[in-house]
Amino acid sequence: MSAINVDLAVNGLITGLFYALMAIGLSLIFGILRIVNFAHGEFYMVGAYAYTLIALAFGVPVWIALPLAFLFGALVGWITERTLMRPLYQGYTSWGLMRDEYAVIVTFGLSLFLINLVDKIIGPYAYRGPPLVETSRITLGPIMISGHRLVAAGICIAVIIGTAALIKYSFWGKQIRAVSQNRLGASLAGINTAKASAIVFMLSGGLAAFAGALLSPVINASPDVGVFPAVKSYIIVVLGGLGSVPGSIIASLALGVIESFGAVYLSYQYRDAFGLILLMLFLLFRPQGLFGEKGREV
Amino acid sequence: MVSTSPNAAGASSPAPAMKPSSAQLTTTKTTVEFRAALIAMAFIAAIPLFVSNAYWLGVLIVSMYFAILAGGWNLLAGYTGQFSLAPAAFAMIGAYTTGLLATYFAVPPLLGIPAAIVVAGVIGLALGRAVMRLNGPYLALTTLSFAEIMRLVISNSIDITRGDLGLSVPGMINNRIVWYYFFLGVLVALLVGFYLLLRSKAGLFLQAIRDDEVAARRAGVDVVFWKTAAFALSAASAGFAGALYAHFAELVTPELGLIGQTGLIVSMTVIGGIGTLAGPIIAAFIVYVISEWLRDVGGYQLIVFAALVVIFARFFREGLWGLAKSGYKKFSAKRGTST
Amino acid sequence: MITAPRRSASRATLASAALLALTLGAQAADPIKVGVTITQSPPGSVVMGVQVKDGLDIVAKMINDAGGIDGRPIQLIVEDTQGLPEKARAAVEKLITRDKVVAITGDHQSSSALAGLEVAHRYNIPYVNTNAWSDVVREKGYAEVFNPGNYNSRVGASAAATMKALGAKRVVSFAENTDYGIGLAKAIGESLKKVAPDIQYKYETLDRASKDFLPAILPLRANPPDAIINIMLPPAAYIMMNQVYEQGVAPSAKTWIYDGSGLADYPDFWQNVKEAGKGMLVFGLYHPKMKQPPLGKTVGDLYTAKTKNEPNRLLFQAADSLFIIADAIKRAKSTEPAAMIKALEETKFTGTRGEITFSKEKGYTYNQWIEVPYVTFQLTEVNQKVENSALVEQPGQPLDPAKLWKPAK
Repeated sequence: MSAINVDLAVNGLITGLFYALMAIGLSLIFGILRIVNFAHGEFYMVGAYAYTLIALAFGVPVWIALPLAFLFGALVGWITERTLMRPLYQGYTSWGLMRDEYAVIVTFGLSLFLINLVDKIIGPYAYRGPPLVETSRITLGPIMISGHRLVAAGICIAVIIGTAALIKYSFWGKQIRAVSQNRLGASLAGINTAKASAIVFMLSGGLAAFAGALLSPVINASPDVGVFPAVKSYIIVVLGGLGSVPGSIIASLALGVIESFGAVYLSYQYRDAFGLILLMLFLLFRPQGLFGEKGREV
Repeated sequence: MVSTSPNAAGASSPAPAMKPSSAQLTTTKTTVEFRAALIAMAFIAAIPLFVSNAYWLGVLIVSMYFAILAGGWNLLAGYTGQFSLAPAAFAMIGAYTTGLLATYFAVPPLLGIPAAIVVAGVIGLALGRAVMRLNGPYLALTTLSFAEIMRLVISNSIDITRGDLGLSVPGMINNRIVWYYFFLGVLVALLVGFYLLLRSKAGLFLQAIRDDEVAARRAGVDVVFWKTAAFALSAASAGFAGALYAHFAELVTPELGLIGQTGLIVSMTVIGGIGTLAGPIIAAFIVYVISEWLRDVGGYQLIVFAALVVIFARFFREGLWGLAKSGYKKFSAKRGTST
Repeated sequence: MITAPRRSASRATLASAALLALTLGAQAADPIKVGVTITQSPPGSVVMGVQVKDGLDIVAKMINDAGGIDGRPIQLIVEDTQGLPEKARAAVEKLITRDKVVAITGDHQSSSALAGLEVAHRYNIPYVNTNAWSDVVREKGYAEVFNPGNYNSRVGASAAATMKALGAKRVVSFAENTDYGIGLAKAIGESLKKVAPDIQYKYETLDRASKDFLPAILPLRANPPDAIINIMLPPAAYIMMNQVYEQGVAPSAKTWIYDGSGLADYPDFWQNVKEAGKGMLVFGLYHPKMKQPPLGKTVGDLYTAKTKNEPNRLLFQAADSLFIIADAIKRAKSTEPAAMIKALEETKFTGTRGEITFSKEKGYTYNQWIEVPYVTFQLTEVNQKVENSALVEQPGQPLDPAKLWKPAK
């Protein structure tokens, strides 16, 4: 492989790791509630701001600001679940049978609300988060990378593995998987489904916020910063099979690499369209994604 | 036979001996809403008698643009249950159709606008057909991707569309007042069209599909045809609005198709009352005019509107229209008992 | 109750008849209202908007403290364009129809200015272009539009001369997808064809809202060009520079980085770029070591007192924009558009940067102050202030590459 292809592959895989942090949470939410959270990008935005403002305004060390951003995202996720998601499984929305439509509207509205709230309170300016490592250029064999990107990618891998293990082996992880597979059965078996949903939203909000925090030195926090990563994670969860966590991780890495090569060999201008076209094709012809088992519900 | 007077729906009147069929109920409800919308339009038609400031007339014209979009989206989402996230994209498609035709082939607006309606309608037909079997989150995601792809293509094909730089479009009418009544005429025509459609058999089919698609199919309703038709109609009306806006603003940019614009359209519909004929159209005026009004006092309006969307979705599905209706019922009930 | 609407109706008829007259000149009102369109929120450049607003505020205060224009104070009415054509169009429309301003100024981004000036042209209101560089602004040939600021052809010529002096063989421009970006990328190409036809030149258009330019940068790593020209504004420009540096492309012993967008005097420049900016050559419209008329010194000192920042080019361009509007009103003794436009055409005013006059020649020179002063300077240390940077080229004083600082690797 020529030097440029190695660069493209490495760069694509690193981008994919960041995508995965976002997509795991979205996928878990779909698994447990069968909805797409259209405010997912705003969890990411909240994290980017929390990290940047805590570190810059209060002079808190970056290594403390980073977990604080996770907690902040988890808090927003928890509030969202308590106030807006409960009707989805406890049946007291004003929408009656139109449960899916309620979820679309309410998360879409929440997204608009959070974007405009931050725009008004913090302002429309972009803030650059402080990097975790100041070194701006590290050479690793054939590849060059900024210190921050390297460290952030390492943290990303650790968090992804940790989350996957948590879901697979922990007590609550098992309960969440049980609810995802069969909500009614799980609740008959004595599992507290409301608590499982709350945990999923906290984890999902926390992970998205964590991704925002890790990337804030690169992307500069601004109110609408989450819109784009959210679109990427929609693509990923569909490609990976809605609700499948391993599927999402693989799809994230794949999308990162596809975009990286596509931008150079196909078209730089249309690089963001590749994923979206894949998304439409999958939804229309293979809605269970690459790895999902269940078909769509009609 | 047209329905009885709207007052008959008041709670004070004793329950009718015979339960009216659901078809009759729907027709009555739609007629009440249609009359309310017509009264609102008459009020809006009178505004230029009192307001001559070109700026506020412009604000009202843009409100009408949004009213057409909200009305069209409501037809699709409120009456057939297809929650497309692409209405702004169809407006953008309409605007660029007439804009590009004018730029490259010097097509006059009076031909460009119908062309825009047709192009948006045909694309809507194709998309509607493709997403036929998708529901809920799948439909929302597919239409969202479609909207984003359209925007990306238009904003990156700089050599053809001038991308984010915006495309200058020739004007059509030099007089604000004439523009005002032109937009209003289109809005009223669409309103009447939607009313006639909903009052006809088609309206019943659409709502039957929304409430229970499987049952509707069993009852012999051509589900594929009606769902696709609604999608195409909604897209065509959005394309119409976009084309008009292009010639009014004399500029089109890909901003017309931003997700935020769809957000505004959804907000207006939900605040006004989704699935009601009058609510979304009236709410478009309320939301947009208040936005402009509050521009100078801090611009908190978008936060408030977004919060309203969440609150209305959570608690009041029929939006402002529903609130007004139940308020009216309470009022007439009270008056009924006191006399 | 029929009388009320009828009375209002007749009043409305009168009012609509008077509407045209009202929009054309709000003479009876006491303050002179000047409309300002700037970027106050993304995706446009907020930093530029702040500098322009500071300049206009300072001059408005100077004029008002001195008793206004024939006793009438200047009132600035500011609208945000976000650097977006659609918002700029609506903003100018609002300023003219709702606020009844006598002139529009302030815009500092070509795409929004191009949309805004169309509206000003339609309503026949004078439009003083503070900092839109696109040649198209001039080529439209609108009598209402005056340009005391810089233009793309001028930067193109300067950049081409610099590239030739550097002895470059291959040059790549990264241009943002705006009228300014694409216009300048092409202008540089045309100038290069004239002065140095041997130089291989290409430009890449980048989306200014994007956060990742690596896909465009990586292909340069294997065979870096001799110079990379930045034609983007912050924050995209900062992200691009950092990534170019991260990848070891520029600035390096092989590759220069040249800025054609006036980045170096933004207050957040060094906070965002660090080593990526060391060695950058800058096309500058202001440098503390440039010769300046006394008015420039006064405005610069007021700015430093107000903001604690060093003066910058946009400050002076904004100041001159408002000065020439005030000067035209004074000479015309009127705020009627026709009188103001005639007075603006005859401008001969020594502002903050030199004596401003407007050319009548069609093309990119129409209503343009041709001799906009400029320099080229180099940033030789991280966190270096512009006043300490090395002034390497002035008009008539060619660049000597041997005197430039260059990274060892």
